Amino acid sequence: MAYVRKNVGGLTANERKRFVDALLEVKRRGEYDEFVRTHIAYFAADGETHLRAAHMAPSFLPWHRRFLLDLESALRRVDPSVTLPYWDWTRDRTTTSTPWTKDLLGGNGRRSDQQVVNGPFAYATGGWTIKVGVTDGRYLTRDLGRAASPLQLPTKDDVNWALNDPVYDVRPWDSTVTQGFRNKLEGWGTGSGSASWHNHNRVHRWVGGAMLGAASVNDPVFWLHHAYLDMQWERWQRAHSSHRYLPADPPGADDPQHGRVVARHDKLPPWNDTPDQLEDMSGIYRYE
Amino acid sequence: MVDGDGATAAGATEQVRASTTAGPGRRRVTRGLLSCVAALALAPVVAASRPVPPAAGGDSFDETYRGRHIQGVRLPAAGRSTSDDAWRITVDGRPLHLMRRADGTWLSMVDHYTSYRTPLEAARAAVDELGPGQRLCDLAPGLLDHTLPDGAKDMMGRMGTTVDMDGMDMGGVGAGGTGMRVGGRHGVRS
Repeated sequence: MAYVRKNVGGLTANERKRFVDALLEVKRRGEYDEFVRTHIAYFAADGETHLRAAHMAPSFLPWHRRFLLDLESALRRVDPSVTLPYWDWTRDRTTTSTPWTKDLLGGNGRRSDQQVVNGPFAYATGGWTIKVGVTDGRYLTRDLGRAASPLQLPTKDDVNWALNDPVYDVRPWDSTVTQGFRNKLEGWGTGSGSASWHNHNRVHRWVGGAMLGAASVNDPVFWLHHAYLDMQWERWQRAHSSHRYLPADPPGADDPQHGRVVARHDKLPPWNDTPDQLEDMSGIYRYE
Repeated sequence: MVDGDGATAAGATEQVRASTTAGPGRRRVTRGLLSCVAALALAPVVAASRPVPPAAGGDSFDETYRGRHIQGVRLPAAGRSTSDDAWRITVDGRPLHLMRRADGTWLSMVDHYTSYRTPLEAARAAVDELGPGQRLCDLAPGLLDHTLPDGAKDMMGRMGTTVDMDGMDMGGVGAGGTGMRVGGRHGVRS
């Protein structure tokens, strides 16, 4: 029986508490910091010769789907009633709306040092000390809306721009492609400035602080953000049922992307699953 | 990854791996990861086939920006298997690791979801995000070990499912309840 992932705004007070408590327990057990490390380790950029599994690549979506399943499993070992909620940033768009409340993720960082000082993930609670970070700061940081240079969260139109593209991804399967659902959702644009960050990337930038860096997993909103993106992949699949994950086959030996992207039946490191095996989650969870 | 254009990429890979994580040193190297020590941070080796736009307009920079001492120097190509850029960047003496996008722009560990035209712009943008009194940690070395030849992917997959990273047993149960575990192949740890 598949479990349900809910909109975080629709969680009951009890569900919120259980979700937060499970996160804190996973952190206390030392498991959470391993997720931070894994995300850092698998962020490879496309100007390099590395295999790109997590970003700037077709497997951006299945990689994060698999990553979320592992965190969700860790949460459910603590409390089997918990599932990952999603944050619909096209609807909950202000710095004080869900999930930035004291009973969920806490609020914005304070102006002086971006430190989150209220809610369950504030440093002073002792339960959310940053151990794997880009800086030596030990507290969670946020800069919601980017005070010094404000930007807006993506809109429904921005998400639909991605959803309406019937092709999953296109050559050369990297951050430079301007067509294909994957990069329209991942959000690597051309040029510089505000217009160049779309959907996924723009939300990381809007939250700011820890979410802007390599150790973005330190902010638990990472999971709610990616659950919403994961839901968009499912919506895209329903809207374009004759289309699938691409590339279907690994780029050939004479292709510059040879060995640098994960094709449909390739194993997705660090796991044994393939994108093909991760396309249908209906036996495990569904979105409400 | 040993024929056609792939030979260049594979060669570059081996260079990087040999210098960072080869052999029994792998764990030792990664064990030091994430500790806040000053160390050499190399901008990554990049694909030789890509056109190279102008970098910072020179081979080095050294300036104080918003009270932080930013230094960068383009590393000589000798000893590397590609002709592309590699930069050593520090902020107040601590390494700032940069990654390169296929369009030639740069992103840093601090600002990971935006890219900048030059290493200097990326370094300044990183300083913009550093809170008062915060210093960079060195996250770089493990990130240089991203590419594995095809044959090693299987091993990687097995590591992801079975290797107990120095006792860090995640005990994960993932998709389909197959008992998969989280565990980066770098064994990244603090």
